[in-house]
Amino acid sequence: MSLVRMLAVGTWLHVKQLSRSPFEIATSILIPLVQATLAVYLFRASPQPQALLGAAVGAGLMGVWSSVLFGSGGAIQRHRWEGTLEVLMLAPRRPVLVILPFTIATAVTGTYSIVATLLWGRLLYGIRLTFADPLGFVAAVPVCILSLGMFGLLLASTFVLMRNANALANTLEYPIWLLSGMLIPITTLPGWTGPLAAVLPTTWGSRAVRAAATGGEVWGPLAVCLAISLVCLALGALALSYVERRARAAATLALA
Amino acid sequence: MLRLIGVGGVIAYRALFNWTTPAMFIGTLLVGPVFQLVFFAFLGRQLAVGSDHFYIVGNAVLASSGACVFGGVMAVSNERRFGTLGPVLLSPRSRTAVFLGRALPYAANGLLIATTTLLGGVLVMGVPVPASALPGLLLAFTIGSVSCAFFGLALGAIGLRFRDVWLISNVAVALMLLLTGVNVPAAALPDWIRTVGSFVPITHAAEAARRLVAGGSLGDSVAPLAAELVVGVAYAGLAAVLLKIFEAESRRRASLDTL
Repeated sequence: MSLVRMLAVGTWLHVKQLSRSPFEIATSILIPLVQATLAVYLFRASPQPQALLGAAVGAGLMGVWSSVLFGSGGAIQRHRWEGTLEVLMLAPRRPVLVILPFTIATAVTGTYSIVATLLWGRLLYGIRLTFADPLGFVAAVPVCILSLGMFGLLLASTFVLMRNANALANTLEYPIWLLSGMLIPITTLPGWTGPLAAVLPTTWGSRAVRAAATGGEVWGPLAVCLAISLVCLALGALALSYVERRARAAATLALA
Repeated sequence: MLRLIGVGGVIAYRALFNWTTPAMFIGTLLVGPVFQLVFFAFLGRQLAVGSDHFYIVGNAVLASSGACVFGGVMAVSNERRFGTLGPVLLSPRSRTAVFLGRALPYAANGLLIATTTLLGGVLVMGVPVPASALPGLLLAFTIGSVSCAFFGLALGAIGLRFRDVWLISNVAVALMLLLTGVNVPAAALPDWIRTVGSFVPITHAAEAARRLVAGGSLGDSVAPLAAELVVGVAYAGLAAVLLKIFEAESRRRASLDTL
């Protein structure tokens, strides 16, 4: 089986599996809709004119991040609970190739959020889905999704080393939304947050998607997003191999 | 009866609340709400909507919602998940007292979380809150937390009947962000959201807290605090009724331990 086919089939399998869960689907759709509604009223309340399309896109991106954070962050733990981790690790492939489809799948199911918030904005608030760069938007969303999937792999591999990864995941939702400027570019943030935001693929991915929707440069930020994500993929692969070897040696693979 | 409510509530809290480990408690319940506050405060600054006080006070009151709503849900539905619901329902003591007493530790949690969130918000945003407002704020936090804990218990009661209670509680907590008017000024919200929001915990407590921080006396906040208390009592009543109905139904359908 070719590498690409394996990744594609694995991703599709996990997308189908995640899409069977009413909890996953409902939280991927309902909670971003609440956030989109909140964003629309906030944008409307602003004395400065705001592009409401940005609110819908931003809320959708927030949903993608939540999906990646909780889905990918807990990927290995989830397989451990389901009793499938040992079988996956027995596969004659590198651990990164086994786990990556799952983390990409969490990002793909996160796209339900973008679709839902755009439809919600159009149908309920009459937001015109006129994208500044339609071609850029069509390219930016899948690249952003793929990039977040790779970032998710790094989360999955590092979170497995921490016993209290859930606690960390629960605290990381809002900071990444804020630092990445998902809803709106935040120029009022303190200067020291700039370097932190600059190393996050979410910052560049959301900048590219928002620019494609409301105007601005798309391709440069998208390229940076992809580059940072590839670094995340490499680091995640190294971390996963290390974790797998350590877990095999200590016979703790199936232990929480 | 007081022992049943107090000691029983604390034992149930220790047994059923999933987030009692230091990392989960600090990360999810203490640090998470501060980040939420900071997110909305900076968003408000950027959009020039609402003052820092608006977001700090509102989100501090709302901070209790996570612990109270999820705690209330765990207080009931985890009994079923852990297989201990049957023995609890075999008890000859008042079911209402057993379950309503469980809301109190979560309300205490909520008070602690709201206070630390306020402190965190003040420190991070660099905006002090008048010292004269603090006693009133503590009262608003307490009433808001109690109200929210009973709301959580009512949602938890639904867990006796429906399996997807975590979905309901997650969506409920997200909806509270919108309906309570904590992050969008009431004038910017449509009438229907304000109307629905008036039946949701935290809405009136946040209003009372904002009046206090704006320099109002405790007397100015009595009306919203009383409204918050009424909302809380209503949810306590609803929880008691739902628990009775769903208990009877689960006995009749022999679905008490069905997951």
